[in-house]
Amino acid sequence: MNLFKIISELEKVDPEIMDRLTHRRSALTALGDISKKMALAAAPIAIGSAFNKAMGQNNLSTVPAVLNYALLLERLEYSFYDQALKAPTLTVPLTGAARTAIETIRAHEQAHVTLLTTALGSQADPAPNFDFGTTAFATYDSFLTFAQAFEDTGVRAYKGQAVTIKTAGNPNNVLQTALQIHSVEARHAAHIRYMRRGVTAGNQTTIMPWIVNAEANGAPAPVYGAGNPSATFPAEDNLAQGGITDLTTALGATYTAADVSAAFDEGLDSTTVTTIARSVVKF
Amino acid sequence: MSDSAFSFLGRTLRRRSFLRVAGATAASSALVLAGCSDDDDEVVAPTTPANTLIFANGTSGVLNYLYLLEQLQAAFYQKAVDAFPSDFTAEDKAAFIDLRDHEVIHRETLKYTLGVLSSAYDANLTTPLAFKFESFTLSTRTGAYTAARTLKEISVAAYNGAPKLLVVDNATGSHVTYLKLLTKMASVEARHAAFVRDQLQPNSFAAPDAVGAAGLDTVKTPVEVVALIAPYVPVTLDASFLPTT
Repeated sequence: MNLFKIISELEKVDPEIMDRLTHRRSALTALGDISKKMALAAAPIAIGSAFNKAMGQNNLSTVPAVLNYALLLERLEYSFYDQALKAPTLTVPLTGAARTAIETIRAHEQAHVTLLTTALGSQADPAPNFDFGTTAFATYDSFLTFAQAFEDTGVRAYKGQAVTIKTAGNPNNVLQTALQIHSVEARHAAHIRYMRRGVTAGNQTTIMPWIVNAEANGAPAPVYGAGNPSATFPAEDNLAQGGITDLTTALGATYTAADVSAAFDEGLDSTTVTTIARSVVKF
Repeated sequence: MSDSAFSFLGRTLRRRSFLRVAGATAASSALVLAGCSDDDDEVVAPTTPANTLIFANGTSGVLNYLYLLEQLQAAFYQKAVDAFPSDFTAEDKAAFIDLRDHEVIHRETLKYTLGVLSSAYDANLTTPLAFKFESFTLSTRTGAYTAARTLKEISVAAYNGAPKLLVVDNATGSHVTYLKLLTKMASVEARHAAFVRDQLQPNSFAAPDAVGAAGLDTVKTPVEVVALIAPYVPVTLDASFLPTT
């Protein structure tokens, strides 16, 4: 999603995009210095400018298509929370602090959508309708289960593209901005998971803010499963990190599989992410 | 170690000579040095004041920087777990034990990684750094979570800023290995941050002081981070030699 997806998709269309971006140092500097040197409101323009400059001599007609694809995924998340906040079935349970939290998360998704739509300008696609089916908003817990799935998938999606960005010409400013979104997704995921422990959601106190083993907590199992290739994108219960085959026993002490798995989140490839999204949303 | 004293040596020899001197000093006066440079074009510290931990330019310096941050956090949660605040609930205790375990695993994984590189800053220290948590109030739930929030927000910002500093090494692809490792821990740090914030103040998991209006999380440079953790570390930290872009 977002910048990771944009880069990934741009590469499919234009394999040399990273070279272009890397050579356009001024454009990339604009991306990387968003937080320090530019007003936040100008960030989307800076990003759009960077891409347009990079693709200046190429087939511009492909750029909006790629950016719109990333926008689609962000809009999915925004739409999910927006529909939830307006769903009559959730009026009673989604109140007080819970409603405030979902409004906060929706605002962040909206900010990401704004980032992309502003970059696209008049070429932004109209927002499609997202059909989350009959169960997503049927109950408070069903809504939170879907939310957990979307947020945890979002974290995995961003992480899954980090290496691609770093290795394809080392556009570090893009990497940093993308990671700043990545950690926001993780904050959302942690909070949604914590909400599921509450009384209104049925006191599911086995659910932690972090992912224990590959426990899906009622979400689709593929959200926590292996991607493709599985060696690059292992399932969330992976115990091999940093060249260590089995962290539970390899470092001179014994750690539980639950702790080791929870201490690391895993990335996921874009094809698997898309398949997961299509399995629960019609658009 | 003036420039003229060893200017006839090649860069590699210069560095080896420097590290040998630094290592010998470390054994006698608690002087520590974090790793050597990965990049032959970069300089190492011209002088090494006593009781100063200098993070050397290059990937090993970046990894040592995060290793120290994980050591600090693991030590913090261990201290809290050793003597829980009297008003901690069973849920608080379980959560802090989880946090301690995650940080210990992060710390040990980075230590292993640095061990492979033979560049863990504390490889030759007889006693580990004794971190200072006196400025925190660890006797109360509010104090413990306030301290945890402070350290977690530093950690999230550090992990957002560090991956881009990894030096690309296309010959070995080592930067890919390290990047994957760091981003896998980064999102867990963010989950921790959201959790401890919520415990202190409900719904503050991504409050405006952490996530700005553009939907972007905090990011800090190593120099900014070491200034923030300086009160808790018993040696002077110098991150000025780390990569900045």
